[in-house]
Amino acid sequence: MMEKPDTHVCIPADRSQMVLERLQSTLNRAFRNVSFHRQRFQEKGIDPSNIQALDDIRRLPFTTRQHLSENYPYGLFAVPLRDIVRIHTAPGTTANPTVSGYTRQDLGIWESMVATALRSSGVTPDDILQISLDPGLATWGRDYQSGAETLGASVIPNTLMSVEKQVMVMRDYKPSTLVTTPSYAQQLAAHLENKGLDPNGFSLQKLILVGEPASPEQRDFLEDKLQVRTWQHFGLSEVPGPALAYECETRSCLHVNDDHFLPEIIDPVTGEVLPMGHVGELVLTTLTTRAYPLIRFRTGDMARILPDACDCDCRLVRIEWRPERSDRLLRIRGVKVHEQQILSGIEKALGMAPQHACMFENRYREKIFLEIWIAVDKALFSDEIKMLEARMKTVRDQVQEDTGVPVIVRLKEWASIVACKLA
Amino acid sequence: MLKIRNLQSGYGKLKVLKNVSMHVEEGEIVTIIGANGAGKTTLLSTIAGLIRATSGEMVFKGRNIDGMAPQKIPALGCVMVPEGRQVFAPLSVEENLILGGHILKKEGRPTLERQLETQYALFPILKERRNQYAGTLSGGEQQMLAMARALMSKPALIMMDEPSTGLAPLIVQDIFRVIVQLRDEGKTVLLVEQNAKAALQVADRGYVFETGQVVLQGSAPELLEDEEVKRAYLGKDYGEFYDGKA
Repeated sequence: MMEKPDTHVCIPADRSQMVLERLQSTLNRAFRNVSFHRQRFQEKGIDPSNIQALDDIRRLPFTTRQHLSENYPYGLFAVPLRDIVRIHTAPGTTANPTVSGYTRQDLGIWESMVATALRSSGVTPDDILQISLDPGLATWGRDYQSGAETLGASVIPNTLMSVEKQVMVMRDYKPSTLVTTPSYAQQLAAHLENKGLDPNGFSLQKLILVGEPASPEQRDFLEDKLQVRTWQHFGLSEVPGPALAYECETRSCLHVNDDHFLPEIIDPVTGEVLPMGHVGELVLTTLTTRAYPLIRFRTGDMARILPDACDCDCRLVRIEWRPERSDRLLRIRGVKVHEQQILSGIEKALGMAPQHACMFENRYREKIFLEIWIAVDKALFSDEIKMLEARMKTVRDQVQEDTGVPVIVRLKEWASIVACKLA
Repeated sequence: MLKIRNLQSGYGKLKVLKNVSMHVEEGEIVTIIGANGAGKTTLLSTIAGLIRATSGEMVFKGRNIDGMAPQKIPALGCVMVPEGRQVFAPLSVEENLILGGHILKKEGRPTLERQLETQYALFPILKERRNQYAGTLSGGEQQMLAMARALMSKPALIMMDEPSTGLAPLIVQDIFRVIVQLRDEGKTVLLVEQNAKAALQVADRGYVFETGQVVLQGSAPELLEDEEVKRAYLGKDYGEFYDGKA
């Protein structure tokens, strides 16, 4: 009976003991130390001793981004602040930024996890790694830097620079690996083409794509235009970081680092756990994180668990990451942005809520940005163009500051928003 | 070698262990640390069959040992060195050892002799004192005798309950040196200790118990650096750090 595999979480029987032990001690600590988790358990009438097999995890309540925001800043920390050695702030998807803390051990685990993912992508101590991420993913920049340094590679850390300067660094510093989002990689590829630069003159060999799933066509395009091999990594932008799932040398699927995270796939509407192989929302539970344990965190990312074993030696759970989302988050250049967050930014800038607004990712030449259409009504209207322009600019600055992605604001008639089926 | 899942155990109505899962691999030293009353001794007593578990599973070398009579468990290769030594004071050192080897009876006198010699080689002081009454030995010598007595049955897994209690620091060092030597000779050790630092310095992995639950686990070097371990060892409750905030 003990060797019976835990079916829905698909951890092999010989590893299930270790994973169960980690899960139980995580729950015990979360229950003891975090009043939010304790309360949620009690509302469901359970305590950690009810979790006796990995399958029992489905009895636990979910944690959502809303909960992270409600417990801003330190409400979900499971250790005293004096044990925390780093506090990360991600822009988050609500009015509050998302705060996560790390103990020294947590940082060590992240460094080794990122290093493992990089190693899987063929990065060696001989490589030079360039990191180029938007401000919204700045925390990942630091994590990739430490992970690569742990591995012994040389790192060109994330710095805000124009595409032109990034290309210059890429040409002159001769990095062999670039970590960036698929959107930005496309922008780079387009830039090279426009300037007539030959990617073969660069030393770039590996492109690690993070933040959003790249389609096979997109990957083919990038591999061809930049003359590289692409690798996909998956992470959470808020907490606790990047590279918690990564591709192995077969590049056929993502491996979830299930020594540290327990994955589940659920129906985003009913919350029911789905059988293996079905597409649903990816839910993650931390197994080793000390400062900031997450219990059944709803990522909003859609994925499915692949039942067959991989051709590679690694026995971690395999998933396929899908482009769609289960929530109202937009993924702009790999950065997750919530509609509500944008709306409250607009409200803050204008001093009132817009009657109608819509938002989407758009592209102008090679640049990808967040485009916001605001319907002009009486309250917003002014007969002075200057005035209208100033309002648009305040909105743009505010949302740009809140989300960390480039923004373009356009004032539109309500009818034209409807006509574009964006309302 | 030893796998425990969801163990619940206690004394009468008092529930001590609440859903404990842990395991010990062959050739490891695994330590259980925690404050007084955290359930460390209860865990060992439950594995040894001295206390009946109320629920959960215990598998030793592939065999289910839940509910097995305590006298049958050493024959499977799992012995316990109890807290406070508990040597037979009115018997001589050698008689104590022979008692420890009672399950070797079928293998005959030569095996028993060989085992005695092995123990004397490991603990030379016991050879010097072989004819002395066990009750006249010092605390450290009694601890060595208790360990040697357990080793007489050629166990695969030795469970030790608080071997350092009441011993002078130098003697504690000797005891821990022997524990490492046992591991190096291929034995497996499950070590319960209040002296978290000493235990983690020799162990491969550890579990931290708090009021009958595992709250932390990891490799020994990792735990040694952990602020929480220091607190668990000091016996302070999280409430002292949290109540003001949570």
